[in-house]
Amino acid sequence: MSNAPGHAPVKSIMPKWVRAPQDFIGGLALVALALFALWASSDLQGMRGFSFGAGTAPRMFAFLLLGLGLAVMVVGVTSDGPHVSTYHWRGPLFVSAAILFFAFMIRPMGLIFTAFASFMIAAMGTPETKWKETVIVAVCLTAFCALLFPYALGLPLQMVPKFMIR
Amino acid sequence: MGDVLSNLALGFGVVFNFVQWAPPFLGGMSIPIPVNILLCLIGALVGTLVGVLPGIGTIATVAMLLPITFGLPPVGALIMLAGIYYGAQYGGSTTSILVNIPGEAGSVVTALDGFQMAKQGRAGPALAIAAIGSFFAGCVATVLIALLGAPLTKIALAFGPAEYFSLMVLGLIFAVVLAKGSVLKAIAMIVLGLLLSMVGSDIETGASRMAFNIPELADGLGFATVAMGLFGFAEIIRNLDTGGESDRQLVQQKVTGLMPTKDDLKAAAPAVGRGTVLGSILGILPGGGAVIASFAAYTLEKKVSRTPQRFGRGAIEGVAAPESANNAAAQTSFIPLLTLGIPPNAVMALMVGAMTIHGIVPGPQVMQKQPELVWGMIASMWVGNLMLLVINLPLVGIWVRLLRVPYRLMFPSIVVFCSIGIYSVNNAPVDVILAGVFGLVGYWLIKHDFEPAPLLLGMVLGPLMEENLRRALLISRGDWSVFLTRPLSAVLLAIAAFLLVLAVLPTLRAKRDEVFVESEN
Amino acid sequence: MNWSGRSLAGGCFAVIAALGAWSGQGHAQQAYPTRNITMIVPFAAGGPTDVIARIVTGHMAQTLGQTIIIENVVGAGGTTASARAARATPDGYTLITGHMGTHAASVPLYPNLAYHPEKSFEPVALLAGTPILILARKDFPAKDLKEFIAYVKANESKVNAAHAGVGSVSHVSCQLLESILKIKPVSVPFNGTGPAMNALVAGQVDYMCDQIVNAVPQINGGTIKAYAVATPERNPSLPDVPTTKEAGLPEFQAQAWNAIFAPKGTPKEIIEKVNAAAAKALNDENVKKRLLELGSVIPAPADRTPEALGTLVKSEVAKWTPVLKPAN
Repeated sequence: MSNAPGHAPVKSIMPKWVRAPQDFIGGLALVALALFALWASSDLQGMRGFSFGAGTAPRMFAFLLLGLGLAVMVVGVTSDGPHVSTYHWRGPLFVSAAILFFAFMIRPMGLIFTAFASFMIAAMGTPETKWKETVIVAVCLTAFCALLFPYALGLPLQMVPKFMIR
Repeated sequence: MGDVLSNLALGFGVVFNFVQWAPPFLGGMSIPIPVNILLCLIGALVGTLVGVLPGIGTIATVAMLLPITFGLPPVGALIMLAGIYYGAQYGGSTTSILVNIPGEAGSVVTALDGFQMAKQGRAGPALAIAAIGSFFAGCVATVLIALLGAPLTKIALAFGPAEYFSLMVLGLIFAVVLAKGSVLKAIAMIVLGLLLSMVGSDIETGASRMAFNIPELADGLGFATVAMGLFGFAEIIRNLDTGGESDRQLVQQKVTGLMPTKDDLKAAAPAVGRGTVLGSILGILPGGGAVIASFAAYTLEKKVSRTPQRFGRGAIEGVAAPESANNAAAQTSFIPLLTLGIPPNAVMALMVGAMTIHGIVPGPQVMQKQPELVWGMIASMWVGNLMLLVINLPLVGIWVRLLRVPYRLMFPSIVVFCSIGIYSVNNAPVDVILAGVFGLVGYWLIKHDFEPAPLLLGMVLGPLMEENLRRALLISRGDWSVFLTRPLSAVLLAIAAFLLVLAVLPTLRAKRDEVFVESEN
Repeated sequence: MNWSGRSLAGGCFAVIAALGAWSGQGHAQQAYPTRNITMIVPFAAGGPTDVIARIVTGHMAQTLGQTIIIENVVGAGGTTASARAARATPDGYTLITGHMGTHAASVPLYPNLAYHPEKSFEPVALLAGTPILILARKDFPAKDLKEFIAYVKANESKVNAAHAGVGSVSHVSCQLLESILKIKPVSVPFNGTGPAMNALVAGQVDYMCDQIVNAVPQINGGTIKAYAVATPERNPSLPDVPTTKEAGLPEFQAQAWNAIFAPKGTPKEIIEKVNAAAAKALNDENVKKRLLELGSVIPAPADRTPEALGTLVKSEVAKWTPVLKPAN
């Protein structure tokens, strides 16, 4: 367990009566999610006689989640627990950026460019990155992918950008 | 008994079929080539290599490689396909252990302890015990199919919608038990998984549920997409936090031994045995039995263990049992196909497809009409398992060496490989984005000490549970008592209730697991 | 062995990219086809449609002198693949093997369908149909179709029908049967033909309608029974099973037909060329033999023209729309 109590610096914005902010916020988010699901499934049909409608099971599970989320919140108020550990922006930001970049570029730009660029973007996610070696590895990895996926595995992936094919 | 032996002899005769190969450059000399064994070997090898790519699970691998068997003679094609299947399964376990990315539902549990072992520098023993356990389970299951295949079919037919619903309830309870932290939070995660599994089309009316008119969501959230996000991407993001640094260095510092020690084997042996038995039984049940095999085995180990707190922290039994169960179930799931001609799951449906392409339409008479095919396949299962051992034990060294790559270079590679893997399954960029979103969700879950494994299991079991519940109620005309009046169903529910009490009691008493966490620190 | 592109994970963009490469070269004068043709199959490899497509295109490729790459695109009852094919460049290099579901029953079933079978596609060639059977569990009380009809009408509230999921052939054909018989039994949905057949063999449900290819081995094995085949003639793979006409329910005619379509706007010469190749394939003895083994019905030469297929699609859309509309 990496998030054991005491790991993260404690700077709580929570009111005092919240004794375990980690649980309290977690439960709160589940409640919000359950309410969202209830809204999203509100257009679905309910029970039809003895048989379930399309919306029966989703609403059932949403209500259950609502109850459980509330229970987790209650635990967060009634018993002491860890604070929310700090979030870091750098890792999530660059990894997400790399994934998004891949998703949007794979079709227009092809595998070679996209794989290389996504690698470089993801690599920015940590200060430990040494650029020279990263570029070398990115080139090798791209070459490996360019050989592995289309040739060894027979996936019809486009290799080069669309505009270059003409 | 004599029958079985002669049948098995027939089967092995087919598998060890030698074809005389007389290439012109040898000048009239001919070399005997064991074609079917070679096909099995190639199948297992290719299956492992594709299965090991993160994001590509067993079904996707088999579907991808299916066309390469179309040009082969029927028996050879099926033998190769069996090789691909086992290879793909084992490949999935490899990624679970090495990088914490389960390729299919069965390996979610393998990841729990397997990845912890890898972090402790014990990836070698984890991979090896997975291969050895799988091989043992495969051997036992092969014999079981040969001896009892036909009578065991009755079990498959005794399971109706009510029984499957109860089995799925039991499965969800297993998911609670395998959580290592708060039971309440584990249940919340399961329900969240169930809720996520509702996205997609309704089985009875076809109505689109919570899909927001996104075409990629019309068939629901893909397992690979969610698993990749919650396990793969979230793990990477978390490791990039400064707090995770110590975790990463562990992997690179002390890689102890590639093979399991005597103590490891001693600890794992009973787990392998129990896993094999559970997996063999559950695998026979079409439509969902095999899914819960691995975590039923894990739960059992955790319950019988004298040191249950080790589970989730790198217990070798936690790898050995589910892997054995998984492989045994994969094997016995052939029983309904071979005796009834009905494919029990998506992979088997692909197998039937392959048979149909070759002009073989499997049915209840396939055993009498095409004995060489059926027994050849049974024999090839065993050979396929042997091939896995042959291929994978030497590979262990290579995989473990991969872990020594510095993390700053490793994680961008995983990001790129995962993205390509998810993208290539459906050629859908939206899937990649969804995996990214689930990566952030997973990061948030870690921050709030929610475990992703129960969520994933809830997601897998959700549709099975809902569909069977609805079927059972349709057939009983809305009478809920069927779940208790049908004996098999009642027994399963009773076991589920018993397990739930066992799981909840300690938390009510003393918050047992948290105490252990404290004492470890 | 052609590896590339035969995989499930086919990408239409690769096709488009290749298209760009070709059209940019300026040698469009050469006769079609000058490169590989992609055949989209909207179902998983190994399903009835896939098997028929593979058998026929295998022969067509020889006639056309180019490889035909089969691309299985799965999802939403085949409508995902059909929508993709409808958007493809209409140059004859992207074709689709559609069937009764994707190119007729989908219209009433999916209100937000991204294509229309008649407006978005050019009909090319009818391939083969798989007849539909009325099946029941082996201990179902009725002996023949007449008794079956009487029984289900008398016990409407007790009978359970199975189908393989909304939009599947078994689902839509059962809906047709029920609308003809004017009954509303409980219909129990399963996830695919396998589980539905398993439930029928185990006796958990009473009857279902399904394609012949799935049912023949079970009928021959005595694990289920068949009352009638919904085609004008008996099927050679089940010579003892009467037709619905013989058994007294002539209105129930249903066949899961499979046919090649091209995106709207594909040149006429290309369609004719592909059509001719398909017709030639259906005349080949080996192709015929394999299709018949599956219980398929091979269309008569008069039904093989693009125009005949166009008429069939029109009449099928008209046939299924009233049957399936109220179900939604």
